[in-house]
Amino acid sequence: MTVRPLSLRDLVLIRLGVAVNLVIGQIVAALLLPVYLDSVGTILVAALVGPRAAIAAGLVSQVLAAVLSGNFTWLPFGLVQIVIALYAAGAARLGLFRRIATAVPAGVGMGFVAASCSAPISYFVFGGVTAGGVTVVTTVLRALGAPLSVAVASASYSTDLLDKAIACALVSVVLRSLPRTLAARFPALAR
Amino acid sequence: MSAHPLVALERATFSYPGAARPALADVTFAVAAGEVVVVTGAAGAGASTLLLVATGFAPRVVGGTLSGTRRTAARRCGVVFARPWTQLTGLCSTVRDEVAFGPASLGLPRDEVLAAAARALDRLGIAHLADREPAHLSGGELQRVVVAAALALGPEVLALDDPAAELDPEAADALYAALPGLASAGTAVLLATPDLERAAGVATRAVEMRDGRIVAEGAPARVLAGTAVARLARAAGCPAPWPVDVAALLVRADMGRGR
Amino acid sequence: MIGYIPGRSPLHRAHPYTTLALATGLLLGAFALTRPAEVWLLVAAAAVYAAVGGVLRSSARTALLLSLPIWALLFVVHGLLGPEPRAAVGPVAVSTAGVERALVLGGRITAIVLGFLTALSTASPHRLVEAMSARGVPFGRTFLLASTLTVLPRMRERAAQILEAQQCRGLRLGGSPLARLRALGPLALPLVLGALAEVDEQVLALDARGAAGGGRRTPLDPPPDSPAQRVLRWSVLALVVAAYTWKFWRLRG
Repeated sequence: MTVRPLSLRDLVLIRLGVAVNLVIGQIVAALLLPVYLDSVGTILVAALVGPRAAIAAGLVSQVLAAVLSGNFTWLPFGLVQIVIALYAAGAARLGLFRRIATAVPAGVGMGFVAASCSAPISYFVFGGVTAGGVTVVTTVLRALGAPLSVAVASASYSTDLLDKAIACALVSVVLRSLPRTLAARFPALAR
Repeated sequence: MSAHPLVALERATFSYPGAARPALADVTFAVAAGEVVVVTGAAGAGASTLLLVATGFAPRVVGGTLSGTRRTAARRCGVVFARPWTQLTGLCSTVRDEVAFGPASLGLPRDEVLAAAARALDRLGIAHLADREPAHLSGGELQRVVVAAALALGPEVLALDDPAAELDPEAADALYAALPGLASAGTAVLLATPDLERAAGVATRAVEMRDGRIVAEGAPARVLAGTAVARLARAAGCPAPWPVDVAALLVRADMGRGR
Repeated sequence: MIGYIPGRSPLHRAHPYTTLALATGLLLGAFALTRPAEVWLLVAAAAVYAAVGGVLRSSARTALLLSLPIWALLFVVHGLLGPEPRAAVGPVAVSTAGVERALVLGGRITAIVLGFLTALSTASPHRLVEAMSARGVPFGRTFLLASTLTVLPRMRERAAQILEAQQCRGLRLGGSPLARLRALGPLALPLVLGALAEVDEQVLALDARGAAGGGRRTPLDPPPDSPAQRVLRWSVLALVVAAYTWKFWRLRG
């Protein structure tokens, strides 16, 4: 893989990915789906451009999400965004986004990996509490008697698996819906 | 047409990446300083592509393959598209900063940058908008900011691709009215538009394209009167002035310029 | 309220890097401190920081609103469900160790949120962009941080329009989880594909304005810096390093 500086086109695509990450929550909320889909843009950029651009998209999304909502506790989870970006780029390279049948399992795998990274962050940095749906699940499990580490881990995993599976399926549909001339503009897709 | 073209294409054939047919096929075209050339044709005929290839943005920025020759004496070319919003940098909080972005990116000294921005704002008649935020402007005002921003870099060739598509009639008139002034200052203006009525009022030369080829070129009166729109209007027996009777319109426009 | 609040305080007039350095210092320092007393001293420092910026009331109010849910959950997860020993507080038995942990974690979050809200309120994005390009930060970084904020409102508007348009065409937002999942496609696809179709124009427009040049952009209005501020920034870094050194020293000893 050649390492060249990010072109203007890469930057515009990263910006698009970040915007998608930050806006798609509006749609998810209107549909009352129990997921965030806040990595769809990152995964898309990974498939269209490559890993470095996807990492940039993930990190910028994390910073801007914190800035816009005031919830700066999300900042340390930027590490998870890097992991998601690298996984997505790898999955794209393997052609896993070409069909939904392969994208969904890839998403489940991504959710597993992402949760494995975010659970320790959540546990060590915040004692398992960052606000959001995950923490509610944690609380319930804790009340049922589970040790804190297990509660945090279970909460992270269940939401992440679903979230990333849907995200990868959506990206797969987007890539298959690209008009041929538009798809030709992204050399990473041809691989 | 002058003997010293700013841009000259010879037998140029251009295909976008992944496209089945070439967007430009065997096109020979040139433009000189002070001209306002209107390029017209149906959607997909190649008018926008001709602008991009002539100004050198294709294939450099959009990819694709170009065969034939392109010769240019222009150091810099500018381009303006239909949607004002997509052409803002997003980095600037005032109109002045947005217009100054180009010269500032070249690393010119601060005074020169601000002077270039002020000149461009004056030429478009929007100096009064200098301290306003781009986000609060109307479409028409914003599009003039975009043109000013393109002009601030002092391009020898300025390509405008359907610049008034999203503007209301008054704003569109104001934009087109500014074009002859740019040409007389020495810029070569390339204009791709389906708006034959307004184009007829400003063009010094017209080009009609079909399927990527130039099918007619020359005086606006002759070329535009031969377009499908004009023929249809005449076939329907419609009287002037609307649908456009281009020849009559040009006579009126000439009288207007003579005022 | 989250966002820039115009003003004339020392923080407003300071170089944006100074304001951010102080907020980052609070963020990093928060994780170095492990005892309730220390953490709440940091919260007091954050409050002083906000007061200097003249935004104490608005920042404190917003910080409180944002962290209340976290405090509630912290209390439940650590206080009520924490380990032994437990102490009786009225009718409830709370874990003393849990409460202490909740105070530390809650204090950290409060200090961090207060610090960054202050930074956001006193450093205008425009000045930050000018400061960054004056320092030679590559165009790409300033572009991603600043221009994304500018395109967001339009994208949100478009998402809302697509929502309305598809509903007019008969798309139902409610129903079974599977139905709602299927509705995701008609809503998300136009948004993403529409944005992708604009990329070429955006790249061309930026390229035509010389954004791809790579050279240094002339700053038009660079925020003034001063030796005193530089010293202050380096001091913050030194303090953070000292705090972590102390933390690991204590852990070892």
